[in-house]
Amino acid sequence: MTTIEARIDALTEPELQHGLEVFRSRLRAAEASYLNACVHCGLCAESCHYFRMEPTLENVPARKLDLVAAVFKRHFTAAGRLAPALVGARPFDREMVRAWLDAVFGRCSLCGRCSLNCTIGIALPRVFRAARAALAAMGLVPDDLQATVDNSLRHGNNMAITKEDWVDTVQWLEEELQMETGDPEARLPLDKHGAKMLFTVNPREPKFFPLSLQASAKVFWAAGEDWTLASDPGWDLTNYGLFNCNDDEAGRITQNLVDAMARLGCTTLVIGECGHGFGAARWEGPEWLQRAYPFEVRSVLEIMDEYLASGRIRVDPARHAKTVTLHDPCNLVRHGGIIEPQRRVLRQSVSRFVEMAPTREHNFCCGGGGGQLAMAAYRDRRIRSGGMKAQQIRDTGAEIVVAPCHNCIDQLMELNKEYTLGVQIKTVAEVVADALVTGEPLPTEWKGTA
Amino acid sequence: MGQPLHVAVLAAAAWAVGALAFAWLRTRGFGGRVLFARAAGDPAAGVRYSFTTAMLPQAKESVMMHLPSYAAGMIFHLGTFVAFALLAVTLARIQLPLPVAWIARVVTLAGSFGGLALLAKRALTPHLRGLSSPDDFVANLLTTTFAALAGAASLCPPIETPWLVVAAVLLVYVPIGKIRHCFFFFSSRAYLGAFFGYRGTFPSPGWGERR
Repeated sequence: MTTIEARIDALTEPELQHGLEVFRSRLRAAEASYLNACVHCGLCAESCHYFRMEPTLENVPARKLDLVAAVFKRHFTAAGRLAPALVGARPFDREMVRAWLDAVFGRCSLCGRCSLNCTIGIALPRVFRAARAALAAMGLVPDDLQATVDNSLRHGNNMAITKEDWVDTVQWLEEELQMETGDPEARLPLDKHGAKMLFTVNPREPKFFPLSLQASAKVFWAAGEDWTLASDPGWDLTNYGLFNCNDDEAGRITQNLVDAMARLGCTTLVIGECGHGFGAARWEGPEWLQRAYPFEVRSVLEIMDEYLASGRIRVDPARHAKTVTLHDPCNLVRHGGIIEPQRRVLRQSVSRFVEMAPTREHNFCCGGGGGQLAMAAYRDRRIRSGGMKAQQIRDTGAEIVVAPCHNCIDQLMELNKEYTLGVQIKTVAEVVADALVTGEPLPTEWKGTA
Repeated sequence: MGQPLHVAVLAAAAWAVGALAFAWLRTRGFGGRVLFARAAGDPAAGVRYSFTTAMLPQAKESVMMHLPSYAAGMIFHLGTFVAFALLAVTLARIQLPLPVAWIARVVTLAGSFGGLALLAKRALTPHLRGLSSPDDFVANLLTTTFAALAGAASLCPPIETPWLVVAAVLLVYVPIGKIRHCFFFFSSRAYLGAFFGYRGTFPSPGWGERR
C-alpha cells in the first residue's frame, strides 16, 4: 500500500476535480452560508483543545476553516475568481489537499466546541465533514481509520470479531451475571425475536471491557427489561463512516442496525455508551439512508434515567464513596443532545458528584474524537491536545471519571497514564450496576426477561 | 458636487443590496437539507436561543477571555450602524436635533477608535496576522474611515465630500469582501440555532449553572 503522501503526489487533475465535485455536493445552503461568514476575528482560538495545548496558527479553528473557505471562494464565488489575492481564495491543488488533510483529519476532532464560541455562529465541523468527504473521495483517508471502516463493512463490526467469539463472550458473560446476581434466570438474550429493545454495543466491550457489557446487562436484569442482543451484524453500534465522511460506507454500516431491528422485530434501538455511535445511529443514520427509521433510537443513558425516575431500579449512592466526575462526549452531548440523563443517574448513584468546568455542551473534547484514536500518525497531537481534559479532571479532584463513551474511555486511559492522573475510569452502567439495590421482586409488568 | 455624490452613494447602496441578494440566492442554490431523524428539540427555539442567550458574553468562553476585543467589536459595530444612519439622514436631507447629532458624533468616533483597536490587534497578534488576508485590513480600514468621517462630517461640512466618497467605496466593497457577514451573520446564526435546536442541545438546559 502506498503512503498517503505518495498518493497525494500522484493525484491527477481529474482526481482533484472529482474531489472538488464531492466537496461541492456535500455543501448545502447552511455550509455555504458558514463559508461566507467568517470574519477572522480569531476569538475561536482558545475554544479549541489543540490550540490551548499548542497555541500555533495551524491550530486556530478559523485557520482550519479558512483553508476550506479559500477553496470555496476560488471555485464557487465571483470575488474569489476575480480577486483571489484580495479575499484569500486559493485553488484546490496538491498543496491545498495536503493542508486540508493536516487540518481536518490531523488537527480536528470534529468536537464542535468552536461552533458554540464562534462570534458569528459557524458550525465548523459541518464544513470540515464536507472537506473530509472530498479527501475520502480521492482515497486520502488515513489508512488506519479507513481500515476500521473496512472492518465494519467486511465483518459487521469494526474489530473483526467473529460471530463465534461474540456469541461465546455473551454466553460467558451470562454465566458471570447469573453468578453475580445469584439468579439462574438472569440472561443476556441473543436474537430474542419480538423483544422490545435491541441493545447494541461497542466491540471494545466484548474485546477488552466485558464487564461494561455485564454491567449494562445487570441493569436490564434489575429492571426486568425485555431486551436482546443480535448475534449477526447489527450488534455493533459503532460507525467510523462518521469520521471518514464517506456517506455511502456510513449508510451501509447503518443498514446493519436497520436490518437487525427488522430481523428481530424490536421497537427500540438502544445505543450503548458510545458517543459517536449514538451520533451516527440517532442523527446521521437516517440522513445517510435518506429515510426515517420505522423504530425509535435511544441512548442507554435515557433508559437508565427512566428506570430510576420510575423506581424500576433502585440504587444506593453510599456504595460509591469516592468523588466522581463526568466527562461529556462531544457526539453524545454537544452534538447529540443527551445532556441531563447521565447527570440525574449519577447524582442518584454516587455520594459525591462534581462537575467539570466547563461542563455539558461547553465541555472540552478528550482529544480522542473525530476518529483521532484510529489515526496513529496524529497520536502525539492527540495526547498533547488531551492535556486540556487532563487539567479539567485534575481540577475536579475526582477519583473516578465517568465517561459514557468507549472512544473517550480509551483516550482517558491514555491520558491517565501520560498525565499521571491516578483516577479510575468507568462507564455510567458500571457505576449504576455497582450501586444497584436488588432483592425486592419487580412488579409483574416489568418482568420482561423472566 | 453634492448631488452627483448622493446619486453615486445610492447607486453603490443598490449594488450592495443587489449583490448581497445575489450571493444569498447563490447560497440558497446549494439546496436545503431534508432531515429524516426525529427531532429531539425545537429548531425554532434553538434559533431564538442562538440570537439571544447564546450571544451573551457569559455564554461564550471566547468572549469572556477577550472582553476588551468584544467591547471594541461592539463599539465598532455600533459606530458603523450609527454612521449608516447618519448617511441615510444626510441623503434624505434631514436635520437632526443637536443633542442627537452630538450623540451620533460621539458614537461614530468611538466606533472608529474601536475599529482602529481591532486593526492594531490584527496587525500585532501573530496568529491573527497569520490568519488575515488583505481583505481583513481593507474591510476594517474602509469601515473605520467611514465611521470616523461620519462623525467629523457633521461638525465640519467640507469633510462631507470625502465621507460620501468613502461611503460609496465601502458600499461597493460590502458584497465583495468579509463585510458581507452583515448578511451571512444572520443566516449562519439561524442555521446554527436550528441545528442545535433540532438536536435538543439548544436552548441549553444547563446555562444557568454555568453562570
